[in-house]
Amino acid sequence: MLSILSYITLQQWRLHKLRTALTVLGIALGVSVFFAVRTANLTLLSSLRTTIERLAGKATLQVVAGEAGFPEGVWDQVRDTPGVKIAEPVIEVLAHTAFPDEGNLMVVGVDMLGDRELHEYEFDESRSEVGDPLVALAQPDSILVSRVFAEKHGLKEGDKLPLFTSQGRKEFIVRGVFKPSGMGEVFGGQIAVMDVFNAQFVFNRGRNFDRIDLMTEPDVPVEEVQQRLRGQLPAGVEVTRPSSRGQSLENATAAMSQGMLVTSFIALLVGTFIIFNSFSISVNQRWKEIGVLRALGVERPNIQRMFLGEALVMGGIGSVAGVAIGYYLAVGATKVMGNMAASIYGLVSTPEPPIFRLDYAVAALILGMVASLVAAWLPARAASQLNPALALHNIETRQREAVLGWGRVATGLAMVMTGLALVRFLTPKVGLMFQFAYSVLMTFGLVVLLPKLSEWMGRAMRPAMDRLFGSEGVLAVDTMIQAPRRTSATVGALMVGLMFVFSTGAYIESTEGRVLSTMNRIVNSDLFVTTSQLARSRTYHFSEALGQRIAELPGVKRLENVRFTSVPYGNDSVAIIAIEMDGWFARVKDVLDEGDEPKARELMPKGEGVLIAHNFSSRWGIGVGHRIRFETPSGPLERPILGVIEDYSSEKGTVFMDRALYKRYWKDSAVDFIDINLMPGTDRAAFKQAVQRLTAGEQRAFIYTNEEYKRWVMELINGFFMLNYMQMIVAVFVAALGIINTLIISVSERRREIGVIRALGGLRGQIRKMVLLEAVAMAIIGVVAGAIAGACNTYFLVRTAAVIIAGYSIPFHFPVTLILVTLPIVIAIALAAAWWPARRAVRLRVVEAIGYE
Amino acid sequence: MAIGVRVERESMIRLADVSRDYGDGKVVHALHHVDLSIERGERVAVMGPSGSGKSTLLNLICGLDEPTSGSVVFEGVDLARLGDDERTRLRREKIGMIFQTFNLLPTLTAAENVSLPLRLQGASRREAERRALAMLGRVGLADRTAHRPDQLSGGERQRIAIARALIFEPPLLLADEPTGNLDSATGEEILSLLDHLHREFNATILLVTHNQEAAAHCDRILFLRDGGVVREERLQPVGVGVK
Repeated sequence: MLSILSYITLQQWRLHKLRTALTVLGIALGVSVFFAVRTANLTLLSSLRTTIERLAGKATLQVVAGEAGFPEGVWDQVRDTPGVKIAEPVIEVLAHTAFPDEGNLMVVGVDMLGDRELHEYEFDESRSEVGDPLVALAQPDSILVSRVFAEKHGLKEGDKLPLFTSQGRKEFIVRGVFKPSGMGEVFGGQIAVMDVFNAQFVFNRGRNFDRIDLMTEPDVPVEEVQQRLRGQLPAGVEVTRPSSRGQSLENATAAMSQGMLVTSFIALLVGTFIIFNSFSISVNQRWKEIGVLRALGVERPNIQRMFLGEALVMGGIGSVAGVAIGYYLAVGATKVMGNMAASIYGLVSTPEPPIFRLDYAVAALILGMVASLVAAWLPARAASQLNPALALHNIETRQREAVLGWGRVATGLAMVMTGLALVRFLTPKVGLMFQFAYSVLMTFGLVVLLPKLSEWMGRAMRPAMDRLFGSEGVLAVDTMIQAPRRTSATVGALMVGLMFVFSTGAYIESTEGRVLSTMNRIVNSDLFVTTSQLARSRTYHFSEALGQRIAELPGVKRLENVRFTSVPYGNDSVAIIAIEMDGWFARVKDVLDEGDEPKARELMPKGEGVLIAHNFSSRWGIGVGHRIRFETPSGPLERPILGVIEDYSSEKGTVFMDRALYKRYWKDSAVDFIDINLMPGTDRAAFKQAVQRLTAGEQRAFIYTNEEYKRWVMELINGFFMLNYMQMIVAVFVAALGIINTLIISVSERRREIGVIRALGGLRGQIRKMVLLEAVAMAIIGVVAGAIAGACNTYFLVRTAAVIIAGYSIPFHFPVTLILVTLPIVIAIALAAAWWPARRAVRLRVVEAIGYE
Repeated sequence: MAIGVRVERESMIRLADVSRDYGDGKVVHALHHVDLSIERGERVAVMGPSGSGKSTLLNLICGLDEPTSGSVVFEGVDLARLGDDERTRLRREKIGMIFQTFNLLPTLTAAENVSLPLRLQGASRREAERRALAMLGRVGLADRTAHRPDQLSGGERQRIAIARALIFEPPLLLADEPTGNLDSATGEEILSLLDHLHREFNATILLVTHNQEAAAHCDRILFLRDGGVVREERLQPVGVGVK
């Protein structure tokens, strides 16, 4: 029996090619976003790992200690440890060349004499003009560059390479070119090598190294050497395998990955709605066919199986297409995520094509098929429970679908209220996916409510549509009201798509608003000088000498050197902002949300306490009165927490301490920001020019006035949400597909109705108007429903997701402007989507339509 | 409204050598060289077996379909000279239609269905509703105005269809098997109603039917077979008949 039912289904596909194609495309898009995000995330992590592995070369172990590095003495200890064959210190800097059109160049400082045994780079013999490059490297201005970089700038041995360093602009001499393999592949070939001690000097590392790469004796187990080193190296210094550093990368980018995963699930949810929509309408359209089949003896379960089988096959085809589309989407997504990783986390990646993982593809396939089955379940059940006697009657005998009952309304309300209550009162740390269920519960509740909501809104719109558009307007609204299943399915797809857009927009607006208000409160310097246009510059720093030179310029009232770094804490890392506290407290007031401010003002500049950000407090469960302990290169540092402040610098949590305290324990005098306050009456713009003149040709420095600085931070936040913006576009696109799908089906379902109206004297223009107005009405209802769902989901995002992802909750803010801007856009999309169905309706042959079976 | 070119005055409807063929390869002659004239106020029944061309004839007269050859002239206007919109306007202002399957819009109430032609003509909602309620009263459904088609019996639905057809008092009423889906008692009721409304509105009625008793309500019966008029029977002393 199933074979004949399959044949009937195939005939349906053949007859309704467009509907079939749109349905498949809906699930394909949902799956593609899901697959693309996961693939891009995997590819990014792989490319970050590749960078680490290429830079590590043949090292079996690495010694690291956060971004600040560790003192030189550690190198001696490592070398003297039994089982260590070679140990080489390394410094990595993302520096800037002084070429006019050039961006970043990764400069790796290695011990040239021992290094070639450990690190994988080969000199390009064909280009070498120097007999032994290693001899040449003994000179302090020597540098080696990759062939990619050399060719890009037409460099050859002996040419000059100008670089901005912490000591100002310096010209290095290219002493060799290495092949684009091994280390030469890192960072897309934008890489150079110099002597580690020279790098230490020119990049202001003091007497610190960033890392030690070591090779163990082949006959000694690596774990044994690792344990031995851990036993004797100072606290705060980690001994790790290069491969396991991938885990720390995953931790570093976890917030970004989780955010992307949540949004990709929403995209899949929208795709599921399209399937639901399609099948609901398909059941309506095949009403009579189902009646005939039932009359001919097809049992209820077989009717249900026919629809579920169709969903499974459509889901399968859509998912396969989705995986293929997703793979190509991943190219762009990897790029965006790579840029984000660089700008937010300061992580350097090596471009790689997307990695195709069969298990991801299979997971996406299964997810797509399960989503299709779930979506088709209710329509299939409705089809199987159809009364054959009724189904065989004419269209007038169709019963109004029972989706408007008060039982459903009560169920929907209960689901929404439960979801809201869970978000409000219950935020156990049970994992993002579990908590995502709160959002899903609210969304499903709204979906259950949607038919009634659509009906109410349709009735509310009726008088206005009548007044504005006459009978066509009324017919358009009535068509929607009387087909609640079809209408709510379309509005549902639109609602979920727009929910995503509105809640993401609200989340972004809330975050931006909160960051801006915080900045307005505590960021009040007149000028800022930074090392990078990115949020974080992990490797390139100023020296304190620059601050001294700026301080000598006329008009400076006060100047503070700021170090913004990341250090290990617990099993993760946290941000440290080390600032000259006396200066900072002198220009901010009422800065503590918790704690005794006078006490903090007294003790902080003496290095007798720290301040923490709210998200640090919530992440680690500590606050004022607790003591915080760091393992530093100079031994343990333990201080009381004197206050909690509002700060959004890092999603990992930030600790503020006096700069002198930081320098003493981390042996690090690097500077990332210079905050400048000017004497009253000093012209900011003129002073900025003076700093530009001072640094021109000497330092790669970015100088911002207070307003420019705030704008820059807001742009960085926007950059963080770049992928969300892309997903918003996909969500709207998928929702638009839903409208097209519904209207095409709606027109084909209502052939007879349209034929009757034409027979009664309805002009073609009136029919066109009717179809277009139906789209407009659905768009309006969709926007309203999307706004309601968006509000619920925003509540989830600001209270739950933000706490999990970023460690802090942000105030609820509803994006009224975004909704008002979206409304005409959605109406325009709906009108565009309705254009083709309207055309079909207008071209309908009336005689055939009236006799249409 | 000025539509098309005025050709003749005597007949309300005049078909001259009208043929309607379907299909590209094996052509089906739905109507074959038909000449026909119907006077204003006349009631004409069209009878014949399935496939004889009855519905095609109706579709051509109301401008839903176009002849392959020949001309259809309505109140002196050659329909071939009218565009689709003009034919549609002609239909909604001059021709009421009643279908065997009622063809009511399931989404609208009885009153809304009846008022639909007026609304399509641009009448205000209030005016259309007022006239629809009055018309529903005249077909005996004053207590069913807010019901939807699925809440009504077959006879009631056909009454609504008739009310809809007559709401704008058209000079021509086309009825395609109006009793075909009804039991005999209800069918007789509907025919009596048509008689009554004919007397009241003096509308020209063209009734397609299989039913001899229904045809007996008319002035003249045309018998169609294989796309041609094979016989004519005059029951009342009015009308012109086959040429």
